[in-house]
Amino acid sequence: MLSSIIAHIPDWLVFFQAAIAFLLPVGANYLYNILNAWGNTGRFTAAAAGRNAAHKDKTALSASQPSPSSASGTPFSGNYAADLQAIRSAIGSNSDLHFREFPLTKLHTKGTLIYVDGMQNDRLLNLRIMEYLMFEATADTLASPLNSVPAMPFSDLTAAADLTAFNRSVLFGHAGLLIDGMPHGLLIELPGGANRSVTEPVSEALLRGPRLGFSEVLSENTSMLRCQGFSDGLELKSYRIGNQMQKDLVIAYMKDIVNPELLQEVETRISTIDSDFLAESGYVEQLIEDNWLSPFQQVQNTERPDRVISALMEGRIAILLNGTPFALIVPVTFSMLLQSPEDYYERWLPGSLLRMLRFAAAFLALMAPALYISFISFHPGLIPTELAISIIEARQGVPFPSIIEVLILEVSIEILREAGIRLPKPVGPAMGIVGGLIIGDAAVNAGIVSPFLVIVVAVTAISSFSIPMYSAGITLRLLRFAGMLFAAFLGMFGTILFFLLLCSHLTKLKSFGVPYLTPVSPFRLRDWKDLFFRAPLSLMKRRPAMLKTQNDRRKSKV
Amino acid sequence: MFTRTDDKITASQAAVFLNNSVLGAGILTLPRGVSEAVKTPDSWISILLSGVIVMLVILLMVKLSQQFPGQTVFQYAGRISGKFIGGLLCLLLAIYFVVLAGFEIRSLAEVTLFFLLEGTPIWAVIVPFIWAGTYLVCGGINSIARVFQIILPISIVVLLISYGVSLRLFNLDHLRPVLSDGIAPVLRGLKPTVLVYTGCEVTMTLVAFMQQPRQAVKAMLAGIGLPLCLYLLTVLVVIGGLSIDSAITSTWPTIDLIRSFEITGFFVERLEFPLMVIWLMQMFCNFCSFFFQASLGFSQIFRLKLKPVIFVMVPLIFLASMVPKSVGDVFALGDAIGNMGIALFILIPLLHSGIWLLRKKGVKQNG
Amino acid sequence: MVRRTVIVSLCLLFSVLTSGCWSSKEIEDLALYTGLALDVGEPAPVEKEFEEKGGTYSKQNKVVATVQVVPIKSASGSMDKKGGGGGGQQKPYSNVSGAGDSILEIFRQFSIRRDRPIIGHHLKVIIISAELLKRQTISQLMDFVMRDNDIRPSTMVYISQGTARDTLTSDQPNEIPSFHIMGMIRNQSRTSKVLSPVTLARLDALTYSKRSFVLQNLIKGDGEVEFSGAGIVKGDTGHWIGFLNQEDTECVAWLNNEGKAGAIKAYDSSGEPMTYEIKAMDSKITATADGGCISFSVKLSSEGRFIETWNDQDTSSSQEFADNAGRIFEAKLAKMMQALLGKLQNEYQCDAAGFGDKLAIQQPAVWKEVKDHWDEAFSKAKIEITYDLKITDFGSFTE
Repeated sequence: MLSSIIAHIPDWLVFFQAAIAFLLPVGANYLYNILNAWGNTGRFTAAAAGRNAAHKDKTALSASQPSPSSASGTPFSGNYAADLQAIRSAIGSNSDLHFREFPLTKLHTKGTLIYVDGMQNDRLLNLRIMEYLMFEATADTLASPLNSVPAMPFSDLTAAADLTAFNRSVLFGHAGLLIDGMPHGLLIELPGGANRSVTEPVSEALLRGPRLGFSEVLSENTSMLRCQGFSDGLELKSYRIGNQMQKDLVIAYMKDIVNPELLQEVETRISTIDSDFLAESGYVEQLIEDNWLSPFQQVQNTERPDRVISALMEGRIAILLNGTPFALIVPVTFSMLLQSPEDYYERWLPGSLLRMLRFAAAFLALMAPALYISFISFHPGLIPTELAISIIEARQGVPFPSIIEVLILEVSIEILREAGIRLPKPVGPAMGIVGGLIIGDAAVNAGIVSPFLVIVVAVTAISSFSIPMYSAGITLRLLRFAGMLFAAFLGMFGTILFFLLLCSHLTKLKSFGVPYLTPVSPFRLRDWKDLFFRAPLSLMKRRPAMLKTQNDRRKSKV
Repeated sequence: MFTRTDDKITASQAAVFLNNSVLGAGILTLPRGVSEAVKTPDSWISILLSGVIVMLVILLMVKLSQQFPGQTVFQYAGRISGKFIGGLLCLLLAIYFVVLAGFEIRSLAEVTLFFLLEGTPIWAVIVPFIWAGTYLVCGGINSIARVFQIILPISIVVLLISYGVSLRLFNLDHLRPVLSDGIAPVLRGLKPTVLVYTGCEVTMTLVAFMQQPRQAVKAMLAGIGLPLCLYLLTVLVVIGGLSIDSAITSTWPTIDLIRSFEITGFFVERLEFPLMVIWLMQMFCNFCSFFFQASLGFSQIFRLKLKPVIFVMVPLIFLASMVPKSVGDVFALGDAIGNMGIALFILIPLLHSGIWLLRKKGVKQNG
Repeated sequence: MVRRTVIVSLCLLFSVLTSGCWSSKEIEDLALYTGLALDVGEPAPVEKEFEEKGGTYSKQNKVVATVQVVPIKSASGSMDKKGGGGGGQQKPYSNVSGAGDSILEIFRQFSIRRDRPIIGHHLKVIIISAELLKRQTISQLMDFVMRDNDIRPSTMVYISQGTARDTLTSDQPNEIPSFHIMGMIRNQSRTSKVLSPVTLARLDALTYSKRSFVLQNLIKGDGEVEFSGAGIVKGDTGHWIGFLNQEDTECVAWLNNEGKAGAIKAYDSSGEPMTYEIKAMDSKITATADGGCISFSVKLSSEGRFIETWNDQDTSSSQEFADNAGRIFEAKLAKMMQALLGKLQNEYQCDAAGFGDKLAIQQPAVWKEVKDHWDEAFSKAKIEITYDLKITDFGSFTE
C-alpha cells in the first residue's frame, strides 16, 4: 500500500514544473495589477466611478461649467481702457489678432471689436455688425444685452464672465466687443474656421443608404442628428472637456428610451476625463473604456448619422466631439462590430446572408493562418489525403517551417496594407492589389513560400477587408498573429487554447456594464433576432433586451 | 439594475454549468467501459437506468441545498453535522474536485498526445491548459457560465453532425438482440455508467449561485438530462456503428468510430478533427468547472479570498494530474474517482439530508 | 521589472520560433504511405545486397512488408524504383520493401534507409497475401495496424491471391495503385462482385468475436489489378482457408444484404444469352431452431430490368415472357446460391455469409449454446432459399 503510494509520487522535476505552473499566473496577476494601477492614472476607473456616483450632482454641476480655471479668472474691471489694456497685454502679442476701435455715434462712446483673422467667415455679416454698432446701437440695447437679444441683429450674443474666458473665446474665433461704459465684454457670432463640405463617409462606404457623413463641426453634426426626424425625445447634453485646450463634447440620447443608469454612467465617465487636450474622439474612447488592456474596442466609432440615430433608437448613447467626424456609440457588443447599416436597408434574406458571411469572414481572418500552421506543421493526418499530397508537392523546396513562411507573407501583406492607406488615392488600391499579386507570385517563384499559403493569406486578407468596422479589423489582425504563435507552439491544441482564451476574455469584458458577448452569453433569446440573422423588420417589435430600455416597444401595437 | 454586481447565474446558465461539468472524458470512453461490463448490446438501457438514478441523486442534492438559500455545501455542511465533521467532509469533497480536475486534464493530455501531439512532453500540454483555465476561473462563476454557454451549442452541433455522418456505418443489427441475457447484464453496466456522471456534485454549490433558487430543480434536471441524452446517443451510435466487439477492444471508441470512415470530396474529409476540437473545448469547460469548485471549496472552508486560492490550486491540480504513471493508471484513477464519488454521495447529501430531517423533526417535536 | 519580463518573454518567443516545437514536423519533410502489402518473408533484392554487406539484425523473416510512399521527391531521380520497369517516365510513387518479424520493426528499419520519416495517417489499403495468411493469423498480422495511433480504422483490408506487393504496382504512368484500389470500391453501385470494404474497424470486431468472414480478393494480371472473388478467413483459427469465385462473392453480398446492383446472365431455351440487370436486391434470413436442429429460411427478392438478349426471334415484352424469363434467371441464381452454400457448408465448413449474426439476433438462447462451435453447427444447418425475381421493365425497348 505504502510502497504503491510512494511509487506514485512524482519526481522532483514534476514538482519543479508545478512550481513554474504556480509562479507564472501569480506573476502575471501581479504584473496585471501593476499595469492596471499604472495605466489607470488619469483615466476613468471603476473605483473612481463609484466615488463619483456618490457625488453625482456635484460633478455634473462642475462638468457643465466651462472649466475649473474660470473660477480663478480675472474679472472685468468695468473700466474700458483698463480692460482693453488687460486684453492687449494678455493676448495682444498674437499677430493674427485685430483690434478695431470705432465710435458709437448714438452713444458717443468708443468700442473695440476684437477678432482673429480668418475665423469670421462672413464678411458681409461683419460689415453689418460694424454698421449696427456704429450707427444704430443705443445704450439700453447694449446695457442689458441678454434681455434684448431679439432686437439685435446677432443670433449669438453672450456676455463673457471674465477676462480670461473672454480672451479664450476671442482666440477660439468669436468676435469680442468691448464698449466703453459696459461692465462686460460681449462675444458675438460663432467662430467659423476653415471647414470642408459634407461628404460621403470614407471609412464606412455603403452601396445603399444615406451618403451623408459627419463633418468636423460639432454643430453641423448635431444638426444632422436632429435632421433625421421629428422628435422631442432626442436630447443633447453639452460638455466642455480639456484642461489646456477645451473642446465641446455632446452626449446624445433618446430621453424616453435610454436607461437612466446607463446615462448616468456615461455622464460620470465623461466628467472624470482628465486630459489637457482631446485631439479626436479616439481620446475620449480610450479614456472612458472599461478595460484598456483588452485588444477589443469597447466603444464603437462611426461617421454615419444614420448609424448613430439607429443606435440611439436602440437605447444606446452617442458621444460627439467637436473637431472630428467620428462619433462614438456606447455600449457596444461584439456582434455590432460585424454589422453594417446596409443589413437593415436591404431585404432581410440578403441581409442575413451577408451577416453570416461576415461572421465566417471574421473567423477566417482570425484563424486561417493558425489553422494552416497547425495542419502543415503538426497534423498532416487531419487533412484529406489528396490535399496532403498536393501540399507536399507544392511545398517541396520551401526552406522555412510554416510559421516563418506565414510570418513572411503576412507581415509583408500588412505592410502593404499600411502603405496603401498612405499612398495617394488613385494609386493606393491599385498598389495594394498589384503589390499583393507581385509579392505573392515572386515569393512563390523564389521558392520562399508555397502557392497554397498564398491562397491562405489572400483569403485571410480579403476576409479581414470584409469586416465593416475598420478598428475591429485591426483587432482581428492583431489577434491573428497571436493565434499564429499559439499554433506554432502547440498546433491544433494551441489554436484551441487560443480560441478558449479569447472566449474567456470576451466573456469577462464589458462595455458600460453590458457584457460584450450579449446576446450569445448571457443568453438573450430576444436579441438573437438581430445577431446572425437579421429578422424581418416586421418582427423587430422590441428594442434589445440587453440595454434594459425604459420603453422597449418599437411598434405602436405589439 | 443596469449593471449587475452580484455574481449570480440564471437558471439556464446553471443548467449549462451542470451539463458541462458532467459531459467530459466519458464521451470518448463510455462505450468501451459500459460494453466491457455489459457484454451485450444492451448498454444503452444501462445508460437510461443510471440516468434516472443520477436524476434522483441530483433531486436530493437540490432539495438539500434549497434548505440553505445562498449557501454552498461547504458552508451549510458544517451547520448540519457540526463544524468538525462537516468541515472534514467538505475538505474531502474539495480534494475530490482537485483530483477530478487533475484526472480530466490528464485524460485530455493523454488523448492529445496520442492523436495530436505525439512527442510533446506532457507538461507542455497540461500547464498551458491549466493557465488558460486559471484565467477563466479568476473571472468568477459568471464568466465561467458564459463561456460554457458559448461552447455548449458549438459542441452539440458538431457532435450531432459527426454522429449524423457516422450513421453511414450504423447497423441496427449491432444493437440487437435486445435483452438476450435478461436484465442481469444491464445491472452490471450500472456502475460504469453512473461513473460517467461524476461531477454532478457541483449541484450542491450551484444552487447557491442561482438568481432564482426556486427554479433549481428544473434547471438541474435539464442540466443532467442533456448529458444523459448525449451519452445515450453516443453509446447507440458507437455500438451501432462499430458493433460491441470493436467497442470493447478500442481505447477511445468514439474517436475510432469517427476515424473509421472518410468523406471523400468534402473539405474536412476526416471528422475526427472537428470532434477533437469540440471535445478539447468541452474538456476545458469540464476542467474549469472542477477547478472553480475546488477553489471555492478551499476558500470557503478556510475562509480565504478566492483569488489566492485559485493560484494555489494550480500546482495542486498539476501534481494531481501527474500522479498516474501510465494510461492504465489514468483509467484506474478514473475508477477510483467514481468510487470516491459514490462514497461522497453517501457521506454528504444522503447523510446530511438524513441528519437534517431528524433535526427538523426534533425541533418540531420540541417546539 | 516590466522590461525584464518583456525581454525574457521575447527570448522565449524567439527560441520557440527558431527551434520549432516538440511535435512540429513540416508536412513536406514526411513521407506518406498510402498502401501496405504483406507477403511471406523473403528479403527483397535491395535488402539481400544490404545483408551481404553485413547490414542485418536478428530476425527470422516471417513477413515482408511493402509500403507505397507518395509523393516522391520530384527533383531527385535517385529514388529506388522497384515499382515495375517504367521506361523513362517517373512514377508518382515508390514502393519500399523490408523483411522481418515485426511490422513496426520493419518500418523503423525503413528509417535507416530513407531521408524522410514515413507516417501512416493516410494509409488507405492493406493487402495481405493469401499465402501469408495461411501461415500467420489475421489478428497477428493486423495487431500493429490496429494499435497504431496514426493509422486510421477506415483503412481497407484486402487479400491477394498472388504476391501482395505486386498489386501495389501499376503500368499507368500517373496512377498511384493504392488509390486505384481504393477507387475501385465506387463500382459497388454497378456490381455486387465488389464487396463492401472490410475496414480495420470492422476487422477489429470480426477478429475479436472470432467470426469467419470474407475479404475481397485481388489478383494481378499484366499490369492491372482486379477484384476477383473473395478469400475466406476462418474465425476460430484466423487463417485463410480458401477462395470464393466471383459468382459466389455476388451471392455472399446478396445474402449479407450488402449488394446494390449487378447482373445475372442466363441462357434461354435456344441457348442464347440474356441478361437481367438488378435494380434492387434484398435478402431476409429467418433462423429457426427446432430442438438441436438449426434451420434458416432465406428469402431473396429482387427487382430489375430485362436488359439484354441475343435472341433475335423472341423479343416480346409481355408479362408472360417476363415471368418465363424470370424463372430462368431464378434458376440460374439458385444454381449460384447452391454452389456457394455447398462450398461454405461442405468444403470450407465455415459461415462467412453472416448466418450466425441472424441466429444471434433472432434466437439468442440457441446462439449461446452453439456460439463456440458455430462453424461446425453451421455446416449442419438446413438452409432453404426462396427466390423472387421481378422483371419490372424491358428498358427503352418495347414491341
